Formats: sequence, C-alpha cells, structure tokens
Amino acid sequence: MSEQKKYMTLNMGPQHPATHGVLKVILELEGEVIHRAIPVIGHLHRGVEKLGESKTYIQNIVYTDRLDYTSAMINNLAYCLAVEKLMNIEVPERAKVIRVIMSELSRIAAHLIWLATHALDIGAMTLYFYCFREREKILDMWEMVSGQRLTPSYIRIGGLLADLPEGFMDKLKEFVDTFDAHVDEYDKLLSKNPIWLARTKDIGIISAEDAISWGLTGPALRGSGVKFDYRKAQPYCGYEEYEFDVPVGSKGDNYDRYLVRMEELRQSNRILKQAIKRLPEGPIKAHVPEIVFPDKDLVLKNIEALIHQFKIGCGGFTVPKGEVYASVENAKGELGFYIVSDGSSMPYRFRIKSSCFVNLSALPEIVKGSMIADVVAVIGSIDIVLGEIDR
Amino acid sequence: MQIVIDGKNITADHGLTILEIAKKEGIHIPTLCFMEKLLPIGSCRMCVVEVEGYENPVTACNTPAVDGMVIRTNTEKIRNMRKDILRFLLINHPLDCPICDKGGECLLQDLVYEYNVDVQPYTIKAPLKEYKEYSTPAIKYHPNRCVMCSRCIRTCREVVGRNVLDIVGNGFDARVEPVNPDRCIACGECLSACPVGALTETVSPTKGRIWQIKRVPTVCAYCGVGCSLELNVLDNKIIKVTTDVNAGMNKGVLCAKGRFGYEFVNSPERLTKPLIRKGNELVETTWDEALSFVASKLTEIKNKYGSDSIAGLASARCTNEDNYLFQKFIRAVIGTNNVDHCARL
Ligand code: SF4
Ligand code: SF4
Ligand code: SF4
Ligand code: FES
Repeated sequence: MSEQKKYMTLNMGPQHPATHGVLKVILELEGEVIHRAIPVIGHLHRGVEKLGESKTYIQNIVYTDRLDYTSAMINNLAYCLAVEKLMNIEVPERAKVIRVIMSELSRIAAHLIWLATHALDIGAMTLYFYCFREREKILDMWEMVSGQRLTPSYIRIGGLLADLPEGFMDKLKEFVDTFDAHVDEYDKLLSKNPIWLARTKDIGIISAEDAISWGLTGPALRGSGVKFDYRKAQPYCGYEEYEFDVPVGSKGDNYDRYLVRMEELRQSNRILKQAIKRLPEGPIKAHVPEIVFPDKDLVLKNIEALIHQFKIGCGGFTVPKGEVYASVENAKGELGFYIVSDGSSMPYRFRIKSSCFVNLSALPEIVKGSMIADVVAVIGSIDIVLGEIDR
Repeated sequence: MQIVIDGKNITADHGLTILEIAKKEGIHIPTLCFMEKLLPIGSCRMCVVEVEGYENPVTACNTPAVDGMVIRTNTEKIRNMRKDILRFLLINHPLDCPICDKGGECLLQDLVYEYNVDVQPYTIKAPLKEYKEYSTPAIKYHPNRCVMCSRCIRTCREVVGRNVLDIVGNGFDARVEPVNPDRCIACGECLSACPVGALTETVSPTKGRIWQIKRVPTVCAYCGVGCSLELNVLDNKIIKVTTDVNAGMNKGVLCAKGRFGYEFVNSPERLTKPLIRKGNELVETTWDEALSFVASKLTEIKNKYGSDSIAGLASARCTNEDNYLFQKFIRAVIGTNNVDHCARL
C-alpha cells in the first residue's frame, strides 16, 4: 500500500455555508486529523484588475465597492487616496473627517458580519441577529448618504459624492451612544460561553514570528501580539489626531483574534465619538474643476458646471504619468492600490493588494494537524472575504 | 525670418501667420472662429497671444509674423483673457449639452473644460431667442447655442459660393439667418462648419454620441467625383454622414446627396430578393430560378431578333467593378454596344 492511500480527500466548498463566499478547500485527512489543506480560489474572479485598465479613474471606484463588500467605504477610500496621491490633490478638512467616520462605520459593519457568521459557524446562532440589528443601522446611514446600502461609492476622488444629508448626524449620534452597550451584550453572550471557549481557545495558533514572515496584516497579525496598524504606522485622513488604542493578543489563537476584534469595535466607536466633535463646516470636495464633479444643483442651473459634468462624466480626466501605492487599514488588514498612469484617463496598471489573500494563504499552515471541525473555526477567525481575494 | 514663440527659436517663411507657424512647431493655440479653408477674420479672439513690445495682445490667426517677433501664447494674462471670452460666450447659453447633438465633440465644451471656466461672474437679462425656419429642412438652427463665429456664413460664401446666410440683428439679439433662402442648395456645408451644436441635422431620427458611433470611411457612390465620406454607424445603421478634411480630393466638402442621401440604405422597401412577373403579380423567387429565366429569355430573344435587339442599362450606384463586368457581359456575351447607365441620379 502506497503512502498516499492513507489519506482521504475531502472537498470542502465551494458551496459550503462556512467558507464565507465561494472558497473551496481540499482537505487530505487522516481520520479526522488534517494532513494537508489546499485552498482553491478563483471562483469569484471577475478580472477587476484587468477591467481597471479599460475604465476611467472615476469608473473604477464602483469596482472597489465589490472587493470586501462588507465594508465598501474603506475600499473606496483606499483607491481614492492612491489617485489623490498621484495627482497631488488635498481634500478639505470636513471631507477628511467624514472619511474617517465612514471608515470606522465600515470597520464596525465588517466586524459585525465577522462576529455574526463566525459565531454562527460554530453554532451560536442568537448572536447573529444581534449583530445584524446594529449593522442594519449602519447600512441605513449609508443609504442616507449615497442611496446604496452595500455598494455606496460615496468616497470620490477629491472628496465625497455629496455632503451629509439632514438627519444623518442625529442617526450617527444615536448609534454611537448605544453601541458600546451592544458590544457588552455580544461580550456577555460569547466571551465566557464554554462551547465558544472550547472551539476558539488554543485553536488556530499563529506565532508572532510566523505572522510577520507570512506577511499577515490586520487582526490576524495583531492577534499574535504584533502591534501594527496602518492608521498608526502611516496615518491618513488625519488619524494621527485621534486617540485610540491598538489592541493585541498574546497567544495568537482564535480567541485572541476574537478579543482583538471585539476591542476594535469599541475603539472604532471611540474614534467616531471624536469625529463627531471634530466635524467642521466647509466644503466636501477639493476645488479642482477639471477633476471633481461640480455640485449637482449647480449643474442644473449653470452651463459652466454642466459642461464640466458632461466632460468629466463622459471622458474622465487625464492623470499625469507616474506610479503610486497607497494603503489603508481596512477591517481585514492592509488594503492597498498600486496604480501606474501613462498619462491617459485610464490606469495603465491597476493592482490591488489584498490582506484577505495573504491571510488566507496562511490557512494550510495554521490548520495542519488540527481537527477537521477546526477548519471552519479558523476560516471564521482569520476573517476572509472572497470578493477581495479573487478580485 | 527668425521669431521666438514661448521661448523657442524658430526659423520661418515670410508671409505666414503666427498661428500657422505655431501649428507647424506643434505649439497649441486655441481657436474658435478660424477654419483653414476660410479667410481668417479674427472675430472670436480665442487665439490671442502676447507679442513683446506690442501694447495689446494680437490674434494669432490673422496676424502675420514679422522678423524678430517674441511671442508668448500661454501667459497668465492671456489665459485670463481667453477665460473671459468664454464666459461672455456662455452668458446666455442654454443648458442643452445632454440633449445637444454636438455634446462630446463640441469645441465650446472642450475650450470651457480646457480653460476651467467654472464660475460665471456676469449675468444678463435677455430673453431666449426664438426658433425660425432655416434655409433647408435638413438643418435646424438653434439660435441660443450659437457662438456667432460666422463659420457657417463664411463657408456658404467662400466655399460653396451661395451667399445664403448672414448675421441679422446685433448685440444679444444677433442671430444667423438665411437672408437668401432661395439660393440654398441644401449642401450642409454650413452644418459641418459649425463648431458647436447650433446647427443640427434633422434627417436621421436616431442620434448617437461620438463614443457610441463608428465612423466608417468610404467613397460616395452617387457620382463620378467620388468624394470621401465617413458613415457614422450606430447599431449597424447609418445615422449621419461626415467627411474628414484630410481625406480624399473633396477636402471636407460634400454636396446634398452625399451628406443627406443615406436613408435609402436602411429603407425597408429595398429589394433583397429577385422577383419574377407571373401574370400581373411580381412574385418572390430564388436566384437560381431568376437567373435561369433571364438567361433563357435573353438567349431566345438574341436568337430570334439578333444581338442589337437587346440593350443593357446599369446603375451608377453599383461599384466600378460591377459596372465593368456588366458592360463586358453586354458586349462580349450578348454582342451589342447598346449599354448605358443612369449617371445623373
Ligand atoms: S453647443 Fe456645445 S456647449 Fe452648447 S449645448 Fe451643445 S454641446 Fe453644450
Ligand atoms: S446648406 Fe449649403 S447653400 Fe444652404 S446655407 Fe448651408 S452652406 Fe449655404
Ligand atoms: S451657427 Fe454655428 S457656425 Fe454659424 S455662427 Fe453660429 S456657432 Fe458659428
Ligand atoms: S480664431 Fe483667431 S480670432 Fe477666432
């Protein structure tokens, strides 16, 4: 009997409720113990990077919504920051603060999906409804600003789509005031639950050295005790002016990553509170008429604005030759955009650095030698979204 | 002759305008009323440039360069003057771009975007100008979109020689009007000269934006001149005919047939299958049947009455190759010189 015959091969996914999208993992099993796990990706491939080369800089914004679609606004931001850096555009203060608000709401919205589904995968169903109750409120706010709940494309090159509508700040304040108590609620439901502890403690351990050498970012890195967050390391949108902590774990197991994200929910709320106080009056778009769409009410009244709207909308604008890389800390880790411009109105190269892709690549190492049931717990714990992995 | 434009030393021939020299050197000077085939009248003043030692800026399109001139085409002052000219043009301009045929390839749009004219400090209380009949039903004149460059008027006068149009009224009431409408030959030259959407074509009910249509270069099949055309095709349907100034011997000029006579291409009444008369009816048939019927009849007539009892009449709308083959067939196969075509369609 050959060596290979000893293992049983099991396809987990791509139609599996706990693989968070269309991911397939080929498992080679020895009984219930994993000998080898091979993630198979690509089921959700849309060719976003290639498409990016034949779309104008403005059109590309909508593709970024569809990367990690649980937190679309941060993706918009990362892309717009890259283009703005390439074109040397400085956005007004009010826009920056609103961008921070949207980023943190995105982080919370994404973490809520993670918590809901991670708990559900392991069998704790109740929490799912609690998390979605709060996430709905965030989606309602996104709908208010952009008309879209999942794919808002609200953050634009040079600023924002539009100013905050009436009633938004009230909604936001109400959310911020009640959210800490909701996190406590989740905490009570899970943190001391013996089944939860059994499924997360000492499972899926990643050492700090491994995390660094594998290039992990986000909570998957911080869970192992490495204090690294792009909002602190390379602040953007004025993050250096906000007070917040970067929580880290000690052991690097599922439970540590759980605690890190739970604390991040609280820290994001802390940032939101400061942003509400800080939000200044003023314009929400940089004044660069050849690039930034004029206000809609001007377009309906004024031929100069109408012509600019027409020209920018139909042909896009040209971007000076050059290349740029800019990244942000999204809910999963580093989301970066590398753009090469040949001086035309479409990127020559449009490359997306996805933390989900890197973090998923560590899965085979993490689950090697553990039980088959742990795969689901680990996938939930490193928190991936296939929209960003496959692109 | 030595001159300097934007710091570049240039050796140029005498008798050229500043604009002509700049164009040769690849230096861009914006123009609006200027057209290569017309005399430069220097009316829009978009092409202003500064000349060292001159008190006022001059218009590049109709100022001949002289030895030793030092010219600047893009200073702050010049840019501001051009911006102001554009603002004046836009004072009473209608919010038509989304419904204007020219949107996307409009010189006014391009200039406004290039010069970033985004605020309008001037206002005027002038009523919108009324629509009136034009000299041909194939063209519609939108007085409020007109920038008074007079390219249409001068084209009709200098290129077509019909002298149909003129500016009527002055100030904000000024408009282009067909003062000699009876002289109009509906050639559409004025239409193609208009840099904006003030003259539009009424023939095709379907319109397409410049990025939706495909411009297919071809040769006009109407007469022996053989002008170069571009068929503007949207969804496999011709919606407009344009021509490229640099292509063919017609150099951007067309007549009424070439420019407006394209509807037949899409006509549902065109014959696409052969018909044979049976009794009083024309009945659709196959090519095989039709051809063998014609062949047998021609042979019969030729045998009975001789070759000269047959004549061939071809169509000028066919290609040269088709017509060559047709006359060859009549001469060599039928054996008669009775062959002609409808040249004057
Ligand atoms: S003429 Fe040009 S600027 Fe005026 S409405 Fe038409 S496209 Fe717009
Ligand atoms: S259609 Fe031809 S003849 Fe008539 S006004 Fe225009 S340019 Fe003149
Ligand atoms: S109709 Fe067109 S070409 Fe004629 S003056 Fe007006 S803008 Fe110029
Ligand atoms: S282009 Fe020279 S004045 Fe109009």
